[in-house]
Amino acid sequence: MGLHSYFGGTTIQTLKMAAVPAYSRFIFRPISRTLVALDSLPRHSPRPPFPILVRALSTAAAVQTTAPSTESMGTATVAKPQWKAAIDFKWIRDNREAVAENIRKRNSKASLELVLELYEKMLAVQKEVEKLRGERNAVANKMKGKLEPSERQKFIEAGKNLKEALTSLEEDLVKLSDELQQEAQSIPNMTHPDVPIGGEDSSAVRKMVGSPREFSFPMKDHLQLGKELDLFDFDAAAEVSGSKFYYLKNEAVLLEMALVNWTLSQVMQKGFTPLITPEIVRSSIVEKCGFQPRGDNTQVYSIEGSDQCLIGTAEIPVGGIHMDSILAESVLPLKYAAFSHCFRTEAGAAGLATRGLYRVHQFSKVEMFVLCRPEESDAYHEELIRIEEDFFSSLGLHYKTLDMASEDLGAPAYRKFDVEAWMPGLGRYGEISSASNCTDYQSRRLGIRYRPAEFAASTNPKKGGKSNLAPTKFVHTLNATACAIPRMIICILENNQQEDGSVIIPEPLRPFMGGMELILPKHTG
Amino acid sequence: MGLHSYFGGATIQTLKMAAVPASASYSRFVFSPISRNLVALDSFPSHSPSPPFPLLARALSMAAAVQTTPPSSEDIGTATVAKPQWKAAIDFKWIRDNREAVAENIRKRNSKASLELVLELYEKMLAVQKEVERLRGERNAVANMMKGKLEPSERQKFIEKGKNLKEALASLEEDLVKLSDELQQEAQSIPNMTHPDVPIGGEDSSAVRKKVGSPREFSFSVKDHLQLGKELDLFDFDAAAEVSGSKFYYLKNEAVLLEMALVNWTLSQVIQKGFTPLITPEIVRSSIVEKCGFQPRGDNTQVYSIEGSDQCLIGTAEIPVGGIHMDTILAETVLPLKYAAFSHCFRTEAGAAGLATRGLYRVHQFSKVEMFVLCRPDESDTYHEELITIEEELFSSLGLHYKTLDMASEDLGAPAYRKFDVEAWMPGLGRYGEISSASNCTDYQSRRLGIRYRPAELAASTNPKKGGKGNLAPTKFVHTLNATACAVPRMMICLLENNQQEDGSVIIPEPLRPFMGGMEVILAKHHTG
Repeated sequence: MGLHSYFGGTTIQTLKMAAVPAYSRFIFRPISRTLVALDSLPRHSPRPPFPILVRALSTAAAVQTTAPSTESMGTATVAKPQWKAAIDFKWIRDNREAVAENIRKRNSKASLELVLELYEKMLAVQKEVEKLRGERNAVANKMKGKLEPSERQKFIEAGKNLKEALTSLEEDLVKLSDELQQEAQSIPNMTHPDVPIGGEDSSAVRKMVGSPREFSFPMKDHLQLGKELDLFDFDAAAEVSGSKFYYLKNEAVLLEMALVNWTLSQVMQKGFTPLITPEIVRSSIVEKCGFQPRGDNTQVYSIEGSDQCLIGTAEIPVGGIHMDSILAESVLPLKYAAFSHCFRTEAGAAGLATRGLYRVHQFSKVEMFVLCRPEESDAYHEELIRIEEDFFSSLGLHYKTLDMASEDLGAPAYRKFDVEAWMPGLGRYGEISSASNCTDYQSRRLGIRYRPAEFAASTNPKKGGKSNLAPTKFVHTLNATACAIPRMIICILENNQQEDGSVIIPEPLRPFMGGMELILPKHTG
Repeated sequence: MGLHSYFGGATIQTLKMAAVPASASYSRFVFSPISRNLVALDSFPSHSPSPPFPLLARALSMAAAVQTTPPSSEDIGTATVAKPQWKAAIDFKWIRDNREAVAENIRKRNSKASLELVLELYEKMLAVQKEVERLRGERNAVANMMKGKLEPSERQKFIEKGKNLKEALASLEEDLVKLSDELQQEAQSIPNMTHPDVPIGGEDSSAVRKKVGSPREFSFSVKDHLQLGKELDLFDFDAAAEVSGSKFYYLKNEAVLLEMALVNWTLSQVIQKGFTPLITPEIVRSSIVEKCGFQPRGDNTQVYSIEGSDQCLIGTAEIPVGGIHMDTILAETVLPLKYAAFSHCFRTEAGAAGLATRGLYRVHQFSKVEMFVLCRPDESDTYHEELITIEEELFSSLGLHYKTLDMASEDLGAPAYRKFDVEAWMPGLGRYGEISSASNCTDYQSRRLGIRYRPAELAASTNPKKGGKGNLAPTKFVHTLNATACAVPRMMICLLENNQQEDGSVIIPEPLRPFMGGMEVILAKHHTG
């Protein structure tokens, strides 16, 4: 639904600005020692009892259980990261020109200079810490031998000083590492070389199917059709819930169920595992997927008195399924199709096309999600966009597929294909789906790795035996809308309307609507 | 799902306690400033005699007007006594005239409502009302006298008197608003009256209305749904605990198909019986939750609230469906209105520790199809029977062993006049578990939601003195009923546990198969089995 363009894009860029204002550098509040547990991450045995998935109790989970409440977060000037992305700082430093160019291309506000500066500082402090540790050990060793009392006193003094210096430096190290993390999290994913550079207008058309339908009668928009066919109730929902909420009624309910059922049956045939997901998740999972759950302009509804929020897309709970896991290479790719309701505040959406079902606070969606080996993600990206195109063609829509321009990608995406379908009532194309390759952006935050098959490690036989495992790698993740219901309902109603006010139901959906072929005007009309 | 027993029951009774603690009696009459919006109450039936849209007239009522400028939750937190955000049209005169029946009902239902306080406040309010009217009369008399010719000293006396009267009136009118608010607050905690056939007492007193089937005898060792789900790869509670928290879950593979089939089949069945299908908002204003008889705030609330707003997540589609016709006068001809609403439901399950909480039995989020009926008062008992019959038919079609209970008075929850629960046999649990609940709420919700109907005009022709278009029968409150058609997770427990086979597979009930592409059995997966 191109949902990411307004869901992830701008808000993710404000994450850095909101979280670490420029004037407050190095003014951190006390550091939690739980972060030290980071080392314990790959807590799997060489041959795990359950061979497919290994879920490790990681730092992220440990930190979440003692997350500060939102109230206490609100009082702090600078938010300490609640979790750490496994960002490859060395790679960033070694590729600083490519990263800088990428930040420019994507019109990102990330500060590479600051990241590199913090990284160098951290390395220097790390080195100093190691040096002092060495000195402290040397002093300790010397004190093991026989010594003059005055000599011994000198060493005791030296040891004490070293210990104090070390403690102070180690604190600095934690602070630096936190700030580095915070800054580096705002660096967007790299960009596929074929992505057009520029703003939305630069997006390239990949494919175009059909042409706008010519109407021989005065055409109605979906709101008018819905009123005459008694399919929606926006007025009652405005009283009960607020604006941009709605009830679906009568055939609209059947149409939603049919779209979900048909879509699930189609993607299952293509090897996707169907899921129904939680719609309340911890805020940290939202962040790890690249969305910003807090702040003035957030798209995310938060639950009062907890660290939980409502999902804006099933991408979030599906991304979280294998969080902090090491997958066997043989289970990849993992292909999921998740049905969920999605909730969005639509903050800042005033003035945008907001009539009717186009932009609403709650909607149903089937979302595809793939976890795969890095070298396969481009191929699965193509597969996902083909599946979307097949669906929309089967439903008889007129649409075009866009290779989205660099400034329109949102931080997590390496490349994004949007589908825009013709909406006669709106008189323009409207986004109905989006397929993104996020490469390792999400997996480095969610901690989703895989272990390459063992034979790949046999070129390095020196360790031998059971411990001869290839090092883990981060999976690539991809997400793609299979069916975002309200915009599909707009397309179907507006494109399939007849002169007599009825609406023809697309053939593939009829078996899922008890054979219904037409939505007929009600007698009261 | 008998969900109401823990969703409405206990918490609704604490509504009054939370809002007006007994120890806070010192704060009576110490209210926060009164909004003048409340005066808009008079403008309630702002419909024209022959509205352009003949079926429904949605009036912009007080409740809606107040909602648009609700105090933030912080403001509520700082006030000692919460002023009601909306007013239930409670019939105080009827309560006074039937005080013994009401008192007995409060006893029967083990409610903490204070009838004495309500009556005391009501009498006080009447007295103040009378005094206000008397003063208004005097003020008018004074004003009339000043219209004639008067000696300057005489005139001065009247001016003085008029001023005093005006001040006394202003003060009394403030008292009246305060009294009326407090009366409203207290009276809202009075439970609905109770059907004469309802057994009196606690849960154990509930009467079995019907029993269908008998517990299945297994010739092999029974697995519970959690074990079946693990072996058949149907759920993931572990991942959900990390991503969301405990009591959340992912449905996987055939469990997804089973949920979709249950929802689709149920909708198709109830549509055949004349119900209008709905998919509802799952975020609603807190006031709607309150008007349906639930408590959206407080320590023990079942309701998730949205941060920084007056909205919360629905615990049942009963809430948004109850709200559809809020502040409306319906034509009698459109009644009954029968809805079947599919929604996700969200519950904090606060205080549920220690209860049967394994697996899918008690979870924070689930899918449900809920029936909801709005009808004339004389028909609600009949529709209550219809609703329980529909539930029983649905469960019989799925081959469940179950019993239907006429719930005892203390187990009703404030809104219900009578409640029928269905409990089905769950072999893994080794006992019966609630799978549905059907309640007749009579006019409890409609008096809060402002849902009235206009009896057909011919009924009003016996009173011809007004004549013409103004000859409309007075409006009445509709009765509302709600009943679970299908609460998916507990149905899934029943189906998995009762239909398991010795080889680990699970047979899908025949009615659901067409909705699962003809699938007849859920087979153990090859790689794990």
